[in-house]
Amino acid sequence: MGNDQAKKDLKIILFLCSWGPHAAFQQLQDKDCRIPAQVKMVRIPCSGRVSKALLFKPFEMGADGVALIGCGSGACRYGVGSITAERNTADTRRILDLLGLSRKRLRLAAFSPEDPQGLLDFLNDFVEEVAAIGKSPVQRPSKPEQPADSKAVIKEIIQKHDVYACQDCGKCSSACSLTLAGKQYSPRAMANAIIGGKLDDPQVQKDVWACLTCGICYDRCPSAVNFPEFIRDVRAVLKSSNGNGNEAHGGFFGSLARTMTSPELKGRHWHWLPEDIKTDAQSKVLFFGGCAPYFDVFFKNHLAPATLDSLKDSLRLLNFFDVHPILLDDERCCGHDLLWTGDRENFLKLAKLNIEAIAESGAEEVIVSCPEGYRTFVKDYPEAGLEMPFKVTHIHEFLEREISKGSVGFKPLDKKITFQDSCRLSRHMEMTDSARKLINRLAPESFTEMQDSGAGAICCGNCGWSGCDSFSKALQVKRLRQAKETQGDLLVTSCPKCQVHLRCAMQDPFFGKDLEIEMMDLTSVMAKTICWE
Amino acid sequence: MQKLEVIITGFGGQGIVLAGRILGQAASLGDHKESTLIQSYGPESRGGACSAQVIISDGTINYPYVRQPDILAAMSQAGFDKFVDQVRPEGFILIDQDLVKPKGLDRDYFAVPSTRMAEELGRKMMANIIMIGFITAVTQASTLEATRETVTKSVPKGTEEMNIKAFSKGYDYGLSLLKARDKKASGQSGALA
Repeated sequence: MGNDQAKKDLKIILFLCSWGPHAAFQQLQDKDCRIPAQVKMVRIPCSGRVSKALLFKPFEMGADGVALIGCGSGACRYGVGSITAERNTADTRRILDLLGLSRKRLRLAAFSPEDPQGLLDFLNDFVEEVAAIGKSPVQRPSKPEQPADSKAVIKEIIQKHDVYACQDCGKCSSACSLTLAGKQYSPRAMANAIIGGKLDDPQVQKDVWACLTCGICYDRCPSAVNFPEFIRDVRAVLKSSNGNGNEAHGGFFGSLARTMTSPELKGRHWHWLPEDIKTDAQSKVLFFGGCAPYFDVFFKNHLAPATLDSLKDSLRLLNFFDVHPILLDDERCCGHDLLWTGDRENFLKLAKLNIEAIAESGAEEVIVSCPEGYRTFVKDYPEAGLEMPFKVTHIHEFLEREISKGSVGFKPLDKKITFQDSCRLSRHMEMTDSARKLINRLAPESFTEMQDSGAGAICCGNCGWSGCDSFSKALQVKRLRQAKETQGDLLVTSCPKCQVHLRCAMQDPFFGKDLEIEMMDLTSVMAKTICWE
Repeated sequence: MQKLEVIITGFGGQGIVLAGRILGQAASLGDHKESTLIQSYGPESRGGACSAQVIISDGTINYPYVRQPDILAAMSQAGFDKFVDQVRPEGFILIDQDLVKPKGLDRDYFAVPSTRMAEELGRKMMANIIMIGFITAVTQASTLEATRETVTKSVPKGTEEMNIKAFSKGYDYGLSLLKARDKKASGQSGALA
């Protein structure tokens, strides 16, 4: 009886192509066949139109299974719909695996109008299979609570960041990467408008989401107005009132992070780990990897990034120094992107779950390789009033600490290198030197800084998977041109998102091979060349 | 009964005698062993090959002069040349790699850039403390805790923190060197190897 009830409670979303399969479905309805009640059908124009974000969205909302049904390969009305659907389903299934939700919860099938019985059999079989896996552990994430008095909250935010101190000098605008990329956008004008109570102005609302929060304006501001953090807090107010997060990639990464707020979710974050990497559950050091495994899957077909390499190579470097760290199999997103896109409530949920899991592991030191994760742990968790019974170290600091002990050298690197600073490390955490200390230990053919470097470096064009537009692209193009101007042949990065975003611009067909340059994370360059002397 | 004979040698002014005193004092007061120190007073201590001779023993030391050193730590070429042939076959030879060139030496030795490291730390005069750290890590003539404690007590007031930093530099370098040798011997020379 209990099993029957559990089966009855299942929620299965069926994305159904309007062409062949829907005709089959209609026949089932016309004949009054018993379509499983758990299945909620959504008509779609073509299976290829259902993006990874849309395939995943039902899981964020607590669905137990999703079926995508289109036309057979070769029969697709749009030509490549079936092929796109196959790719998107395969990638989303891999993401479900990483999350520990089981890839079996997502199925792709094709039915022609002549095969209604086949469709019915498929649906019954799918319901049985999902029932065998069980209910999804994902709880529908909470929506941000709307403040009773938004105006008063905005006033508090202005006071908290002392935005009144803005002298309207324009240094922020003259340094802002977006403004310099040609966008009609001004941080000081936005600050003044918000102080003047014009938050509802459509241009202000647009600009709040356009800000890259890269921090160059704060770096240049003579009054030390922390504009990125001001914008972050304003976004939280906007998000709670109208829910708009201006999220790129169909909001996939926001969905992903919110899905991880479910305490019952038991992920398989590290199941791809190569066998040669040594870990130890009893270690006092924990390595927190971040979302790179998801990036590699999500962008696999388009950009083929290798952000996972930065995790593998960080771990290999830890192993090199005889550190066999703890890895949390159900490691969750640190919450950075939720925080910076205004979803403070779900950010806090993730933060608490992360801290709890790390504390339970017994680790005394957490090593983070992602710049965003590092900032989030070191700055944002404590500022949110969360106590962490462990210290947090960035992998660059760890490497410098170990290498400076001596007896470590670097094999010659047959490359002319240049370096892309990440906003979170260079400006937000004032750590421009740490990467350079390591680079100076390497033995490349040459190391040349780009025209803008260190605290003045140009942002990779996007932050928190929000606000990507043609000006972001212009920024990326500008940055890659600067890299090429150094005559370098290897662009060393320190953030997985810089890899993704710069690679995106590099693959723009309009530029051909003009912007192509090899990219590698600093940890990978080090792992490749480090040796005992 | 285990007995260690140590010679620390270098130029006058490098703090060689202080280094010897720290080592002996750490062994006696910290590790509760017996120790003696003989230091050179002659013209050699004014720029020549000065030396500190330390004996550390589990039991009574009847004769304080070193006859055949188990450990030679050389911070000058002249000192190295003078004492290197006396070191026991299984003994340790440690050198400052920028000041001593062990030409023609056909046995194992341990090198540390102690003077360079001290310069990097901003005080060239702390090279001796770096060497003490290095000796402690490589030879374990005295324990880490005892030697560190003795360094703290032996240096001028107000410079303790900086000297401990120097000591740790030398100690970490020594451990790193030993680890590098082990790793290379086991065929793991790099992170991807």
